[in-house]
Amino acid sequence: MRDKVIFLVIGAVLSVLFWIFRVELYEAVYNVNGFSDQMYNTGAYGSVAAITIAMAWGLAAIYYYVINSVKFDRWYHWLAMLGIASVLTPVVCYIVIDNFLEGFDYSTSEFTFAFYNILFTAVTFVIASFSIRWWSSNCRHTPIPQ
Amino acid sequence: MNMIRRVYNMLSIAVVMLAMATVVASCGGGGLEKAVKKAFIDGDTTQASYEKICALIKENPKSYAEFVTESGDINVEALGKYINEVGSSLRPPMKWNITGYGLKELTLTVYFERSGSMTPYDTPGGGGQLKKAVNDLINFFPSKDGVKINIVNDNIYPYSGTVDSFLQDRNIYESTKGTGNASYTDFKLIFEKIIQAQKPGNVSVLVTDLIYSPQNTADVSIEKILNEENSVATSIFKTYKGKSIIVNQMMGDYNGQYYPYNGQPFAYNGKRPFYLIIVADASTIDRMSADDKYAKFLHPSAVKNSYRFNQAQSELNVKVVPDWKDNVGRFRVARDEQNKLIDCEGDRETGILCFTIAANLKPLNKDDAFLSNVANYTVQSQSGFGITIRAISPDDITNNNRTYLDGMTHLITAKGKFNTSHDELSITLANQFPNWIKESSSTSDTDSSVAGFATTTFGLERFLQGIYDAFSAGNDTYGKIVIKLEN
Repeated sequence: MRDKVIFLVIGAVLSVLFWIFRVELYEAVYNVNGFSDQMYNTGAYGSVAAITIAMAWGLAAIYYYVINSVKFDRWYHWLAMLGIASVLTPVVCYIVIDNFLEGFDYSTSEFTFAFYNILFTAVTFVIASFSIRWWSSNCRHTPIPQ
Repeated sequence: MNMIRRVYNMLSIAVVMLAMATVVASCGGGGLEKAVKKAFIDGDTTQASYEKICALIKENPKSYAEFVTESGDINVEALGKYINEVGSSLRPPMKWNITGYGLKELTLTVYFERSGSMTPYDTPGGGGQLKKAVNDLINFFPSKDGVKINIVNDNIYPYSGTVDSFLQDRNIYESTKGTGNASYTDFKLIFEKIIQAQKPGNVSVLVTDLIYSPQNTADVSIEKILNEENSVATSIFKTYKGKSIIVNQMMGDYNGQYYPYNGQPFAYNGKRPFYLIIVADASTIDRMSADDKYAKFLHPSAVKNSYRFNQAQSELNVKVVPDWKDNVGRFRVARDEQNKLIDCEGDRETGILCFTIAANLKPLNKDDAFLSNVANYTVQSQSGFGITIRAISPDDITNNNRTYLDGMTHLITAKGKFNTSHDELSITLANQFPNWIKESSSTSDTDSSVAGFATTTFGLERFLQGIYDAFSAGNDTYGKIVIKLEN
């Protein structure tokens, strides 16, 4: 039980660290003159990181506690959920960024940034999965058996 | 039991997620910060935006108590500091000078010279350029209520009419006939009285032909007179280091007797220069220069030449425009240091690096011809960068670059072969005694048929050189821009 709680705490800390160092992490992956300045100035990085964390944790929670079925406890079911998170989150982020940068013309950069955000979504989904899977009654062995 | 345990576990997870969400949400900015950021990001650092920010504070004075004075007014100093703190957290760091918004209106005192050599500038048959220039000065001064008019020659005399009667007077020299002694002008007395009478927030303008014409000059050599004039100018202004003087040269029709320094008066019909000399605290002129309300007052359309004495080196607001059509090669604007470019790399084929800086040169209070003349700048760098400079036009502003061009007046494009690991591009605008003063000066005015009589003023250079010498220490540069480059 104690080990499982440690996983949860580590996952939460990693996610908070991701949010704190969001600018550095995002710009290490995608940094473009002009667009990156406006992402920073408008606070879009904060919202995008928050959405990424919330959706990754939320979709992981849906998989382990709402779906939570023996019919969907195989690794590829979990992978499909990761795929859904990795597509859905960047789409939502693209819409949010476009709203933040209203009046600017950075559509190509917005799309590219949203594409790169797939990476952060996938990693956060994995972290969330390994943080909360232990208390799922039917899917706690997914994707890797305990 | 299992059910209770499951609910407990899910609640634990929910608490952890809620804690994460709280950490995330607690880092957001308040309404005031958002409003200030919006003004910066939208490139809308205008008085209208400032008024909106003030309205936001006044709507909720308890939340923003530090920006409200005891009397309920906006604490401009505290708000200005906060605005620039927010601006400095942005990319690139931005500044917004709001000090002028909350200050009292300035007052204007016009000193209208009425010596014998001035009356021919405003005869019924002439073009009336001198009177038009003074009228414009009064009309373009934002606060007409604070305008006073004096007549000067041997001393200073209050104008007996109102501002409106002055503006409408078609023959001002006729209606002020008999005021003072028009046979000579005592510049030492006049300038000292102007400066001593000047209260904070006052702008004084002397309308004059700037011909030094003291009493009793018979049999005195020209050189002696010019040296005396030079010394008088220095002695007046060296004790008022906090003042600044702008000399605006204009041309007007002159129809009447001309009184040369040493010779018989003669009739002259033609053009002659005259001058609007603006005297104010240096800080007041800085304030006017930064405020569009005073643009037409400081830069009348008919000004031929202009120079400001005692202009301290300005801290220029510059931003590198990261995405610009002329950019060649690659660079990135450093996040940790302003005006620094990192990862610089010349074009792969030519090795040329070209980037553009937006600069606000308005505080320098110079006309565009001067500011856009690349010959007025000294450029230094190891890589031999050269620059071009031009004013920003509305067509240059796009959605993506307005954050960088907001509040800026000129674009400076630097181009060169970047062939070192580090370089420092230094662009300096030197403050030199202007050539136009030398070209507008004569040492003899006894013959109107001499070439240049219509465009020169007797002894102008020596008098203005005297003012320049009084203020020149440490004022040899208007502004300096330094851009650091790293590969």
